[in-house]
Amino acid sequence: MNHVELAFRNLRRRPTRSLLTMLGVALAVGSFITLYGLSRSAYENVKQSIQDVPSDLTIRRAGAAELFGGAIPQSLISQIVEIPGVAAVTGELIALVESDNGDHVLAAGWTDDSFFWQSVPLDEGRLPRHGERKVALIGIDIADALQKHVGETISFLGEPFQIVGITRFKSVINRNEVVVPLADLQEVTFRPGAVTYLSVRLANPGDPADVDRVSSAIEAIDGLSVSKSEDVLRHDSMVGLLRAVSSSMAWVALLMGVLIVLNTLLMAVLERTREIGILSAIGWSAERIMGALVLEGFILSAAGSAIGILIGIVGAHLLGAIPAIGRYVAVRPTIGLLLATVFAAIGLGIFGSLYPAWRAARQSPAAALARG
Amino acid sequence: MTTLISLEGVARDFDGGRIVALRDVNLAVANAESVAIVGASGSGKTTLIMLMCGIMLPSAGVIRWRGVPVTTLKSWTGLRRTEIGIVFQDFNLFPTLTAVENVEVAMLGTVASSRERRRRAKDGLQTVGLGERQSHLPHELSGGERQRVAIARSLVNDPSLILADEPTGNLDSISGTAIMNLLFDLQRSRDMTLVLVTHDRSHARLCKRQIQIRDGQVFEQAAGRPREVAK
Repeated sequence: MNHVELAFRNLRRRPTRSLLTMLGVALAVGSFITLYGLSRSAYENVKQSIQDVPSDLTIRRAGAAELFGGAIPQSLISQIVEIPGVAAVTGELIALVESDNGDHVLAAGWTDDSFFWQSVPLDEGRLPRHGERKVALIGIDIADALQKHVGETISFLGEPFQIVGITRFKSVINRNEVVVPLADLQEVTFRPGAVTYLSVRLANPGDPADVDRVSSAIEAIDGLSVSKSEDVLRHDSMVGLLRAVSSSMAWVALLMGVLIVLNTLLMAVLERTREIGILSAIGWSAERIMGALVLEGFILSAAGSAIGILIGIVGAHLLGAIPAIGRYVAVRPTIGLLLATVFAAIGLGIFGSLYPAWRAARQSPAAALARG
Repeated sequence: MTTLISLEGVARDFDGGRIVALRDVNLAVANAESVAIVGASGSGKTTLIMLMCGIMLPSAGVIRWRGVPVTTLKSWTGLRRTEIGIVFQDFNLFPTLTAVENVEVAMLGTVASSRERRRRAKDGLQTVGLGERQSHLPHELSGGERQRVAIARSLVNDPSLILADEPTGNLDSISGTAIMNLLFDLQRSRDMTLVLVTHDRSHARLCKRQIQIRDGQVFEQAAGRPREVAK
């Protein structure tokens, strides 16, 4: 027999309690993986959706808390494109609109001459022709979900659009997005002449001085704010809020796991006071007694974490199956996240066992033995 | 004979001095000696044993181990690990461990190899006559057998001193006599020091010296003559 066997033997003495503790840790770890994965994936997916249609600068309404929250006059495009160093400017209107079955679909409106069209990965069909109206490109995932094909119609806010092509973007957001002519989306959403944000391609995107100069020139126009496109999410309060809420919930879940381990071991210490006294009487040092209790905490949290990984992976799949989430975020717990969570859970489990272990080690052996 | 453990002016009180368990105890126990401590219930016998193994520290006075003062619980823990074996009245075995594992527990920290621990634990149980019962749990053993396991555990690290606190207190007279014979046989064969707390005068007379405790004070009695308990 060794210390590990002794720890297992002690945990097996109260099988129901040990099992419930492990499940508690497992649920905490699973929740952490799912929620933290959601937080991380939300950010990554929005970022990927921006990278799918690359640009150098993003212009939004100054003071708008989030990227999709403001409106900019489309007429500014002609003014900005005149700024030296600007190669091209396009506007995009984003709206969540009701579709055929009452479902809400993310719709993007692009101008005929938008440079975004060059980035569209067509899976089937064709791009809209110049000046063509009431046509739509739909993402492959939403096409599958709504069982739509090229040549059929899809309606937004009651207006029918003919599907001319199906896109296969990398990001799950764009795979669930419908792209229509800007004028059509402005019309059905009663936002004539407005875009949500503008995207700029620069003549010399690798020249920081040029980037700064163009940015300053754009910001000189009243009411506009400019970010490098790769930085745009850093200033987005909605993405920040989503990340903060899901991260906080994830950490709360993990801390609950620590409290469960702490409570279980504290109960064990109180129940085994006399046994701890016997260990001291036969020459076990305070450090060895502490180590034995911490080992039990380690086993509980390690076993709980192993089950928690499975719960986390299943939880991520279940979240993805909810249309309101799955259409915009592909929750994928990475190996890095799984490993980091397991290390954190085991570390916190050991941390949670330190106080009970310390209490066990510091109790007077005479008093412990006196407990019948 | 060399002194193994000595108490000089040792006192122990409880409850902020309101209860005095032992006062001004002066006692020296030599190597390989057997000493019986007798006295009425509540006279301070168990407190004296607790002080002699460092489970409790004295309120006043000095306890020396081989002439060196031992003052901290940590130093006493080290002595209990290798030099002092304790046998309790109520056995104090771990209920979920088998007989052999109960003996092995005392070697976690003194013997590195688990194979060696198992070998020595089996030898220890063989010595106390429990070679055939080593995989039994405590509740599957009789009182006498449990006490034999406890004795095997106390001896497994080859201690110099065995402190036995009423080791037959929970046993019938036949088992009690067998346990006493075992303890004294082992004490003699291993040249160990034995300090025995007992109510039983016949057991006390087996020891070379008898110490009487009365109202927390120690009185040396006339030297006895070690002999076998009637079988």
